Amino acid sequence: MKKPDSPDPTIKLLRQIAFVSALFAVVLCILILVNWLQLHRADPLNSPAVKTMIDRLGSDPDNAQLREQVRTLDLLSRKAYFTSQWQIRTGGYLLLISVLIIAICLKTIEYFHKKLPDLPEIKNNTYWIDRKINRRWVGYTGGAVVLVTLVFAFLSHNELENMLGNAVSRGTDTISGKNASKNIPLSTSGKAGSVPDSLLTLATGDSISSDTLLDGYPTWTEIIRNFPSFRGPGGNGIVYQKNIPVSWNGKSGKNVIWKSGIPLPGYNSPVVWNNRVFLSGANETRREVYCFDAKTGKILWTARADKITGSPAKAPTVNKETGQAAPTMTTDGRRVYAIFANGDLIALDFHGNRIWAKNLGSPANHYGHSSSLMMFRDMLIVQYDQRGSANVMALAGKTGDVVWKTARNVKVSWSSPVVAFTGKKTELLLAAEPYVASYNAGNGKELWKMDCISGEVGPSVAYADGVVFSVNDYSKLAAIQIGETPKLLWENSEYLSDVPSPVASGKYLFLVTSYGTAVCYDAKTGEKYWEHEFDNTTYASPIMAEGKVYIMDKTGTMHIVKADRTFSLVVESPLGEGSVCTPAMVDGRIYIRGDKNLYCIGK
Amino acid sequence: MVFAVQRFPKPEFETGYLQPGTLLPSPRAEILAAMDVAILVLALSVISWIVLKKRSRKGVFWMSLFSLIYFGFYREGCVCSIGSIQNITLALFDHTFILPLTVIAFFIIPLIFTLFFGRTFCAGVCPFGALQDLVAFRPQKLGSRLNAVLGMVPYIYLGLAILYAATGTDFIICRYDPFVGIFRFNASFGMFVFAGILLISGIFIARPYCRFLCPYGVLLNWVSRFSRRHITITPAECIQCRLCEDSCPYDAIDIPVTTKDPENRKIRVKKLIWISLLIPFLTFAGGWTGSRLHITLAGVNSKVRLAEEILTPAAGQGQPESLGLTAYKSSGKAAEEVYSEASEILDRFYNGGWILGGFIGLVFGWVIAERMLSKWHTDYIPNKGACYSCARCVDFCPVKTDLSEIKHEKT
Repeated sequence: MKKPDSPDPTIKLLRQIAFVSALFAVVLCILILVNWLQLHRADPLNSPAVKTMIDRLGSDPDNAQLREQVRTLDLLSRKAYFTSQWQIRTGGYLLLISVLIIAICLKTIEYFHKKLPDLPEIKNNTYWIDRKINRRWVGYTGGAVVLVTLVFAFLSHNELENMLGNAVSRGTDTISGKNASKNIPLSTSGKAGSVPDSLLTLATGDSISSDTLLDGYPTWTEIIRNFPSFRGPGGNGIVYQKNIPVSWNGKSGKNVIWKSGIPLPGYNSPVVWNNRVFLSGANETRREVYCFDAKTGKILWTARADKITGSPAKAPTVNKETGQAAPTMTTDGRRVYAIFANGDLIALDFHGNRIWAKNLGSPANHYGHSSSLMMFRDMLIVQYDQRGSANVMALAGKTGDVVWKTARNVKVSWSSPVVAFTGKKTELLLAAEPYVASYNAGNGKELWKMDCISGEVGPSVAYADGVVFSVNDYSKLAAIQIGETPKLLWENSEYLSDVPSPVASGKYLFLVTSYGTAVCYDAKTGEKYWEHEFDNTTYASPIMAEGKVYIMDKTGTMHIVKADRTFSLVVESPLGEGSVCTPAMVDGRIYIRGDKNLYCIGK
Repeated sequence: MVFAVQRFPKPEFETGYLQPGTLLPSPRAEILAAMDVAILVLALSVISWIVLKKRSRKGVFWMSLFSLIYFGFYREGCVCSIGSIQNITLALFDHTFILPLTVIAFFIIPLIFTLFFGRTFCAGVCPFGALQDLVAFRPQKLGSRLNAVLGMVPYIYLGLAILYAATGTDFIICRYDPFVGIFRFNASFGMFVFAGILLISGIFIARPYCRFLCPYGVLLNWVSRFSRRHITITPAECIQCRLCEDSCPYDAIDIPVTTKDPENRKIRVKKLIWISLLIPFLTFAGGWTGSRLHITLAGVNSKVRLAEEILTPAAGQGQPESLGLTAYKSSGKAAEEVYSEASEILDRFYNGGWILGGFIGLVFGWVIAERMLSKWHTDYIPNKGACYSCARCVDFCPVKTDLSEIKHEKT
């Protein structure tokens, strides 16, 4: 092959150009790398100087000069950031051009300066030797791969698979309803709540000290083993435990394990976590939280909610039937939370030590604040529908800091939040005039709402199988089919409640009116199956457990009926003391707050 | 760029300035996507003609330059045939994944051309190959050992890419693509360094990515072995001049094998039988080893990571919460659902680990067995699997059939 003539000076020149370009490319590379490092160090969002100035501005918010300085510095750091980005990009273009020049020069030199091929030395038998070497080294590589893989597998061996397996199997138990009654499809209940099943072992122990309590939040499995809030897990009125007592007599002591006096009055209901039962009580001058030993009924500790910053000096004037401690407490198994009529909110550990406390502002509420607390994951949910400023908020359980807060355009309400897993997400369901609303429990964003309730709303909603039920006296009973666009499935105004909340399974809705009439509806169609008058005022909300509905009237008599389409009274058990509180039920036991005493029913 | 802007929090203006709405890049117009496929077919036809008919290295060079500009810098390396492996895999395992026809075309068409004409796609259509070929100024021979070791990497990479795509975990070929960042001028620091290393080493080790990483190259290698018409070094009879012996920078020329294996025939047969029996064992051993690694492999999966983070919060103490966990917390999704998904993914990784390990074990066994077989031939021939049809060797062959070429040589 004949090569075209090429003058040596051209090749020399090309070599020089290639060399200079290569030098330029190396310098560019270094500059780009330095710039990149600068870019990652000078993050305008985390500039220490700007942060310091913002902190200073926080303590001196009226300092206009400082405010201007913050803006100038912020602008400068942002400009520097984007300039660095521009420099890297421009450097990239220049680098490409210089590499192109090098390639063109070298290719041209190659073209003009082609060398004749060298004749390689003759190597005898190298083919077979090469093949042998090749084989051997493929074998070595395979061995190395296996070794590295096993080392990685050994080093990274962890319990993740077992932990996940356990978590899933526990969750499956819950969903498939191993702990549930036959008539109640647990899938309708929602898998609200959450997480670390790794903490489950602690939860099942007989005693939990605060030292051994890990932070985090309970799994659904843990939650349903307990009764952590008003109307149980998720506040939905359904109990998933077995062996719930049906027969007792408070006067004779039949099936009463213990009875313990409650120092201060309160209309809040007991909440239970393992071997602890929690209640609060208050009068105009004192606000207290009580922890009872679930085995003996002994008060283990009393914690006073006092000396809280912002707490009003004088207790608010409240209705006698509401009192100073109407909202039921809640617990996440790590801490226990209580709120009082004056807006004092307190978080305590399981030894009664205060973790944090704050005042949410004196509630503008003519009867007195009564909305119970609810927990979701590691957050405390507070429905604070007060006159002039209604909102729902989530506070970090650990610190009390506001995680999210959503304003609500509603009137004052006395109902409590319900947390329900509705198939794809966990929704927070609230009722207050004029609407029933759903919020994303994680971030407080409103998901949907429906105008279907009015008046002074006291009853909370019930949820089952994609349907939310709301009710209020002088308003209506409404069944809302939830979804992207919720629709009113059916409504009825024959029987209404102003205090007890309804409870629902996938098939039936049970409603108890304040004047003591229990009604059963078809949950999907609204067809009334039965009604029964118990003749006594009823304030406690009905609870559904093991295919039965527990309805306690104000005299303390528990009417237990079958959760079925035909009315069937199982038994009536008197407490021997009046009660307006909703009972708490866990495995084999019922805890009932009477007017003056806390009862533990069981065998 | 849109995403980069989104990551930056909106400044708080007090001037009445209205924040513009988020802009989303519109998908490529169907007509332009069809044009890409047409250009791919055209480019493959032209390069096959250049390689097989014209036997022109110069033609290959200009064609690869065109591909570098069009498929590389203009189309920014996407769709690329290499990455399409993952789309195809995911579509096979996830019926909800919509597979565009363009992607199918970019996966299938080069394979079809390879089946007929050898790896002409690598020669002048693949922008990755073109970029590396452009900088291969001083290629050196690597030797048997290094070739043997590094030559196994693409099989492992291919297996991992398929596993991660099949489990819906990640498109690792795209994530760790060294050249796309160059084509788009937006390489991350790591990828910029990786590409720099490949290109600088590519001056001395020709096409390092193609030879020792490219997972699509594995498929092309297999298909090319059955190619009907493959480039030959000599257009007529080989005159055994040996001029081409060192011409291939990719060590893809099979020198004549005329001598017998010095090892005793009985020993060789025994070895071959042993290796044949070893293949199933290696497949099983590989599968078992792969299955042991499934938790580590699954650690890349975002859902598994999230479940682990939720399940063992103490493990992450002292570290900032991950974005995934923050997003999960605001999603309202039940933890049990995350566990269930993660558990399912772990199961898939366990099965996938068996298949991946089995595949790698099989490949190792097969490669070792292949190296024991004799390939008798008297001419210098390109290794059909490894040859990139770059036509460098053609220039070294003194045998010409084209009269005009001979005339040109004489002048």
